[in-house]
Amino acid sequence: MEKFAKAFPSKPLKNTAGKPWALAGVVGSGNLEVLVERGSRPSDAMECHIETSIPGYKASWLAALADFAHHYPAGGTKVTINDQGAPPVLVTLRLRQAYDHLTKGEK
Amino acid sequence: MGTAEIAVRRRNKSERLGRVGRLAQGKFVSSKNVPDLLKRIIEPGDILCLEGDNQKQADFLANQLASLDRKDLHDIHLVMSCITLPAHIQLFKKGMIRQVDFCYAGPQGTAVADLVKAKKFPVGAIHTYNELYARYYIDLTPRVALIAAAKADRKGNLFLAANTEETPAIVEPTAFSDGIVFAQVNEIVDKLPRIDIPADQVDFVVEAPYPMHLQALFTRDPAAITDVQILMAMVALRGIYEKYEVQSLNHGVGFNTAAIELLLPTYGERLGLKGKICKYWMVNPLPTMIPAIESGWIERVFSVGGEVGMERYTAARSDVFSTGRDGSFHSNRAMGQLAGHYAVDMFIGASLQIDVNLPGRKLVVQLVETFQAGRVPTFVEELDAQDPSIKKALHGVAPVMIYGDDVTHIVTEEGIANVGACRSIAERQAAIRAVAGYTPVGLKRKKRETEELRRRGIVQLPEDVGVRPSEATRSLLATQDIKGLVRWSQGLYDPPAQFVDW
Repeated sequence: MEKFAKAFPSKPLKNTAGKPWALAGVVGSGNLEVLVERGSRPSDAMECHIETSIPGYKASWLAALADFAHHYPAGGTKVTINDQGAPPVLVTLRLRQAYDHLTKGEK
Repeated sequence: MGTAEIAVRRRNKSERLGRVGRLAQGKFVSSKNVPDLLKRIIEPGDILCLEGDNQKQADFLANQLASLDRKDLHDIHLVMSCITLPAHIQLFKKGMIRQVDFCYAGPQGTAVADLVKAKKFPVGAIHTYNELYARYYIDLTPRVALIAAAKADRKGNLFLAANTEETPAIVEPTAFSDGIVFAQVNEIVDKLPRIDIPADQVDFVVEAPYPMHLQALFTRDPAAITDVQILMAMVALRGIYEKYEVQSLNHGVGFNTAAIELLLPTYGERLGLKGKICKYWMVNPLPTMIPAIESGWIERVFSVGGEVGMERYTAARSDVFSTGRDGSFHSNRAMGQLAGHYAVDMFIGASLQIDVNLPGRKLVVQLVETFQAGRVPTFVEELDAQDPSIKKALHGVAPVMIYGDDVTHIVTEEGIANVGACRSIAERQAAIRAVAGYTPVGLKRKKRETEELRRRGIVQLPEDVGVRPSEATRSLLATQDIKGLVRWSQGLYDPPAQFVDW
């Protein structure tokens, strides 16, 4: 088990209305859940909290989250991740899915 | 000098046949006499071809060969496409092989690595399939070929059934150079459904005590397709298939390409791509193509081999598949590889071997996840194949399957890198790093470089090609399991037992 948190610079979310949170994935073996919530401060940072069952991959996590915050305007969101050993390729997908749900206001 | 005096090979062949005596009744050999017969028809120094690629194997003949010893058989120059069976390894362990020319080692990879270390693997060269078949006609013509067929008739004509595979590419050069063709068959019958190899080109036939080794190697259970593979399939469909209007393609056989096949009737249909892309295929009759075929996407398929369980389905869809006058499926590995090389707009895959000196403007797409099972990165600074110890053991040969210069696009879950459009090696490397995810290679990318490449369209994220990651779920597949494939096939697909869980 490993737990860490960090905020990454990110342009503010484009539309401020819409649903307050979105979730993608489940905490199951080889999977993870990503919760993205609006209303975090400051509005130019993506605040991340990660809890993973597999220690030792902090550098990869931080790199993936930094890139995400850079590519997508996600400032003013709080991202909470509960990971149960998801393969690295699944992490970005779940992030994108949760972000997509949040910004498009579905699910 | 008269013809008779220079026909050394022909004379030598009749000497060999003369030594067989009562071990054969005409062309027919009983299974217990096979080891003795092999001793009499094979000579030291021979180029010996053992049929066997990744699906179909002349395993009975291989096992009989491996039951012999070095005193019976030595200095053999073995030519074969795949080193697949334990019997093949035995030939090396017993010191019978002077040289081997082959394509790949498949399930015996570890055993071959051990032989290499023990200096018992005298490799000539590692070939692509067609390179090797072509050499059978030129300088690696077998003196003796041990092959596999489904059935023989009383004259020695052969029926190859769905898995024609490489049999014609072995038999023709052998038979037309006074070599000896020895076929194991599952069954000897009075009348064949069709004749694939005429008796005139066959010297000996044995009814093997067990049917030839045949694997359903390319059946991909939709239940095992992941969301990540679906995302990649969507990205490939929009960013490559749709963008370049790919009409004809050489499809891979992994889960990534299976996901693409299963998205055609759903996602592809919604994008209005039916009739515009993916009409002509060079690929085996993959069960995951059934929904696309049933939805009318696919005009024509030609295959290098069959797939166990697809016999009734392919026979019923003879407009799409190549079938004999008996109605049953036909394939041809050499011709299929040629077609997949010269006749297509695009090669896409992750695991197939291909000659990529493709003529003209073709797309060569690698579809890979950044990490494989067990968190092993797919992207590396240097291929294992370039490892000096491997090169040394293989006498300077680096077993590289596809050279970087030939690849036009790399698709990962991170997006598409159009490496073919890069202006320099440094730019290529930056484009590869941009889609290499969080592998050690990917972590070295620089934000500014990636942004510049993205601005120029050389690197595209899923969103850049109009793909919504939230849609990348298994419900987008035309079916989620094998049972669904059976349903789509209207009961014509007969999945092998290992895929049936109902």
